[in-house]
Amino acid sequence: MDLQTLLISTLGALAVISAIGAWLTRDNFYSALYMSVAMIFVAGIYAVFNLQPAVVLITLVFVGAVGIVTIAVAATFRAKTARKINLFWTLPILVVLAIVAYAYSEARKIPISSTGLEFVGDYFLLIVFLISMMVLVMLSAIKILRRVGL
Amino acid sequence: MIVAIAVALLIVAYLMAISAKDLIRLLISLELMFSAVFLAILPLFSISATMAFAILLVAIFTSSAELLVLITAIVITDKMRKGVEVEKVSVGGDIF
Repeated sequence: MDLQTLLISTLGALAVISAIGAWLTRDNFYSALYMSVAMIFVAGIYAVFNLQPAVVLITLVFVGAVGIVTIAVAATFRAKTARKINLFWTLPILVVLAIVAYAYSEARKIPISSTGLEFVGDYFLLIVFLISMMVLVMLSAIKILRRVGL
Repeated sequence: MIVAIAVALLIVAYLMAISAKDLIRLLISLELMFSAVFLAILPLFSISATMAFAILLVAIFTSSAELLVLITAIVITDKMRKGVEVEKVSVGGDIF
């Protein structure tokens, strides 16, 4: 078994295990989290084949947008009590953030190149149409919600 | 092997949809079905990468649109029926 096959089988097994976790857990919030993890493993299988545009799209749109919105919806309908924030932790958090920000500002800057983004030109019209469709769906959703009285 | 993983994901998603007690769980199972679809598209890249990428693009945006529609439906159901349980949805299937 070569490395690629081993990687694909491992990522596939992890994706299926995460999906089973999403199915078996009783909490909707954890179910959405497991679902997002499964999606990341699916994107990982694409990464094994070096399909970078597909990995970027799946990770940003499918995991980043769809997954996070699903987690937010699941958390909204799950939440029973609001969690109190302990102000005692504010100072340590600020100190850690300042250290991280300083380390990041001192880090070596890598120049940004457009290599690997050629697909944007080929699919520009399709992306514009699909974004227009999303805007239309969102406007329809807002109209329906207003009609219901939310 | 990729198709086998996709089928396994799809079966888990179907089981999740069948055993769902609320609409949120149903939404999560549908997203899992879409991830199985993405895996099923992967072998198509070896035949025609351009066409496969276009199909992947359409599938991703379709899943996003489906999410928006379902979230709207869930919010409206919660508002009108005071809950998101599957039992409270009496339209779109056999109820007797």
